[in-house]
Amino acid sequence: MSSSSAGAAAAGKPPGGGHGGHGDSDERHSHNPHLAHHFDDIETQNHASRLGMWLFLGTEVLLFAGLFLGYSVYRHLYHETFRFASHTLNLTLGTINTVVLISSSLTVALAHHAVTKGKNRLALGLLGFTILCALAFLVIKGFEYNHKFEEGALPGKWFHFEEMAGMPGANMFFTVYFLATGLHAFHVIVGMAILIWVAKRLARGDFSTDYNLPVELGGLYWHLVDLVWIFLFPLLYLI
Amino acid sequence: MAENKKHIEEHGDGHEGGHGAGRYILIWAALLVFTITTVVTGRMDLGSANLPLAMVIATIKATLVVLFFMHMWEAEGILKLVFSVSLVFVAVLLLGVFGDILTRSTAALPSAANGTAIYMGADGTGHPSSPEH
Repeated sequence: MSSSSAGAAAAGKPPGGGHGGHGDSDERHSHNPHLAHHFDDIETQNHASRLGMWLFLGTEVLLFAGLFLGYSVYRHLYHETFRFASHTLNLTLGTINTVVLISSSLTVALAHHAVTKGKNRLALGLLGFTILCALAFLVIKGFEYNHKFEEGALPGKWFHFEEMAGMPGANMFFTVYFLATGLHAFHVIVGMAILIWVAKRLARGDFSTDYNLPVELGGLYWHLVDLVWIFLFPLLYLI
Repeated sequence: MAENKKHIEEHGDGHEGGHGAGRYILIWAALLVFTITTVVTGRMDLGSANLPLAMVIATIKATLVVLFFMHMWEAEGILKLVFSVSLVFVAVLLLGVFGDILTRSTAALPSAANGTAIYMGADGTGHPSSPEH
């Protein structure tokens, strides 16, 4: 399979032309251990990987869009209740978590920048900081959840939040709150796992100025986590 | 194709070499300023302006993250297309559903909507007491 597809790729390529005539294409093909056999060169492979990642991010946007839609509809139906309920959340902790995520987005971007400049030790430190931020976010969220559990804000048959007793739609606000922040927290955990994997490979010396795509794509996933929170925070905590 | 690649590489180098890290820090500072702005204005009573203002600020923040942290600013056209299409479908989803919700007669909405009736069950379990749910 390997030899036949490589042969097909070679046959489909006009000899000497098309690639600007640089003969190092074949050299890279045989020497770069990160290049899969079905790609002509590492640039093509990187483009394909980026495209795949952005397609995935597009589906992630649509996944969260469903929850935002649910929020919007119930907010429209019960806007007084939703306004009141958002004020029962802890704005200080929510704001701290926003700053934590924005800062971790910065450090993961700087980590990729450092790898492209060959500063792998700096990149490792920045990735470590990002992972600590992810952990801090989850711990703060955990305290918030715990407080809401104690107040009886867990939806469904557990709902006995006295501050909002008898308010129509109170149950729905906390259903959306726990589903949206829960799915987001799950993404934080997955993002943290990806960044730990990237950091491990970076420490092992897998990445260089020539090959650092996993750092870049892992960073993209982390930025998405930040992106979702940028919308969740004002909708749930502020208005 | 080859020329296109070369162009992207040169373009990328020009940015990375000059002010790559500095630009990230600048974007981060802007995101912090917007966060403080939205927290301060979010708890002020601006009437019906609260929601649009918070959404405008969130959209600006998200745009900064996508364009600069996620490099959409200098990405190839196909990546811009793929991501834009997902945003178009989000817009279709919102427009379609709100086209429905906003044009319904009140009889077709939950009777407890906007405080017109008691929503909570008498036993306080939170189970809806109205048959519309």
